[in-house]
Amino acid sequence: MTTTLSGRETSITVAGAKVQMFSGGSGPALVFLHGAGGSAGWQAYHQELSKKYTVYVPSQPGFNGTERPEWVYTINDVAHFNQAMVQQLGLDHYILMGSSMGGWIAAEMAAMCHHNLRGLILVDAAGIKPENSDIAEIFMVSAQTRLKQRFFDPTQVPNYQQLTRQLSPEEQQVEHANREMASRLCWRPYLHNPSLPHYLGAVPTPTLIVWGKQDAIIPVECGELYQKALPNATLRIIDHCGHSPALEKPQEFLKTVTDFLSRLK
Amino acid sequence: MVEVYWFSEQPYGHITDEDLAPYESGRMHFPNKNFDPQKAQVLYQNYHDQYAWADEMGFDGIMSNEHHSAYWCMKPSVNIDGAVIAKVTKRAKIALLGNVIALNDPVKMAEELAMLDCISGGRLISGFVRGTAVETLHAGISPTENRDRFEEAHDLIIKCWTTPGPFRWEGRYFPHRMVNPWVLPIQKPHPAIWFPGTGSPESVIWAAQHQYPYMNLGALLDLTIQLKGIYQETAHEMGYDPGPEHFGYLMRVLCADTDERAYEIGKTFLWTQTHRQRGPIEFNDPPGYQSREALRIKMTRPMIGTGTIGRQMTYDDLQAAYNIVVGSPETVIKKLRHVRKELNPGYILIYGNEGLMPHQDVMRSIELLGSKVIPAIKED
Repeated sequence: MTTTLSGRETSITVAGAKVQMFSGGSGPALVFLHGAGGSAGWQAYHQELSKKYTVYVPSQPGFNGTERPEWVYTINDVAHFNQAMVQQLGLDHYILMGSSMGGWIAAEMAAMCHHNLRGLILVDAAGIKPENSDIAEIFMVSAQTRLKQRFFDPTQVPNYQQLTRQLSPEEQQVEHANREMASRLCWRPYLHNPSLPHYLGAVPTPTLIVWGKQDAIIPVECGELYQKALPNATLRIIDHCGHSPALEKPQEFLKTVTDFLSRLK
Repeated sequence: MVEVYWFSEQPYGHITDEDLAPYESGRMHFPNKNFDPQKAQVLYQNYHDQYAWADEMGFDGIMSNEHHSAYWCMKPSVNIDGAVIAKVTKRAKIALLGNVIALNDPVKMAEELAMLDCISGGRLISGFVRGTAVETLHAGISPTENRDRFEEAHDLIIKCWTTPGPFRWEGRYFPHRMVNPWVLPIQKPHPAIWFPGTGSPESVIWAAQHQYPYMNLGALLDLTIQLKGIYQETAHEMGYDPGPEHFGYLMRVLCADTDERAYEIGKTFLWTQTHRQRGPIEFNDPPGYQSREALRIKMTRPMIGTGTIGRQMTYDDLQAAYNIVVGSPETVIKKLRHVRKELNPGYILIYGNEGLMPHQDVMRSIELLGSKVIPAIKED
């Protein structure tokens, strides 16, 4: 489940709870927040980004075998937890990037405090309810359905076999606990916060919104709504791509992200 | 002591395997266009006649329950059924097993149950249940909250019945700044509380910690004996010695004039068995709803009847395991005596009909059970 190339795995304690942390590289800080499936560890695109940035990949509370602080019930609570984590890491000027549920957390964090953000990257982010379609059901469907929802074309996912391999009993336990935590955080309102679009109008941070055009979980319409809500945002849509552009269209995804980063002050 | 209770899930028996086959599951996916209210009205009348007849024939009580999005249980509100039982019976206890209190406003539950206790003249037994996972999904509530909501709801209902209002309740899930239910139960300090389980050890421990009778629904006899052992251990840790009055056991039972006739009628207990709980595991075991240990135990249970997850067993297997008991009065007495010897439950809950089992056969079963079987096992 966890991939490590040259990212260093450490552990830090935030608000009394342990966080699994992968980090590597040098340069300006970039924090990546994972989605509802949990942290997949240090990925190839983290490695690429670490050539110019110090990349931090923390586990979210309750995910990846970490404990859930008793007070963490909502994505808003998780955003506060991450603010404490960023403060503890001493990051006074950083880039924040989140995918899916992690994108939602990132957007909430930006709404709470944008003054220390250099840039914001939202990838197929949850958090805003579409007006003309629905966010797909992810909790009350089988694992097979979830896998089908995730990719537009599995044959273009370089490590698809690795992603779909039989998990060990320990990994199955972690996966189950990740789903339990995601269910706790995202059940109702389902994968969104009705107030979030209203918060985002006050966030001037340069923002890149990346979306798989054929995302079958969070429709591209949500990307358009994020663009509408954020005053300084650019939407980049990747064609022939589902919910996980970093995995399904790695080169195109990385180019989109690095182009955006290179333009940041 | 032993008390015998009549129970019917009140199935919408017109559904067939062919109706169910095209759908991914027999619950959330099976469309309600298959429900005909006119047919349901006839069925409800039959089920209420069976209640009245069971009361007349000497059953100690009537048990009822609640399910949602389930063609095999037309009772989305156990309290409405409790009100019906209160009015069509004269003496039987009314065992509601029960209210899915995690999913409802506990103050309203406390009020409704108190009202039922008053209407029935103190005949209410108030069961509290967590509900199957589908009940939680159907209510739109995260399964991860079910247990915490259940425990808070339980505490608030008990407080409603035992603490004079008005009072404040600052709970996480059910905050109320003014609680003052006008209607209170006749029975003091409150009606008896039962707690059911299908196999989860956590449920057994919780019941024992509160000294509530534990009703096992659908587990095989050997597993139920193990669960009884867990109850006894917990009770001893709590400092009391549990007796038969702390255990109940549910079995599917059909009595007819001959063994052959009962065997034929009883086949309906397997109505739609292959479809009933079919569907993604996420319906029956969503993350956060239950522990992995509870799931492991449930996997050993028979898959039909009240089960949610489990293994397939044949009609004859289930009879051999005393999960289904069919026969003439003599045969049924013999089998129930065996169950009493092995488990010694204080309450035998008779799941007495299924599917489109003919109403007259069910009425005859009630008559034979009431006139011959119940007196015989009470004499032991």
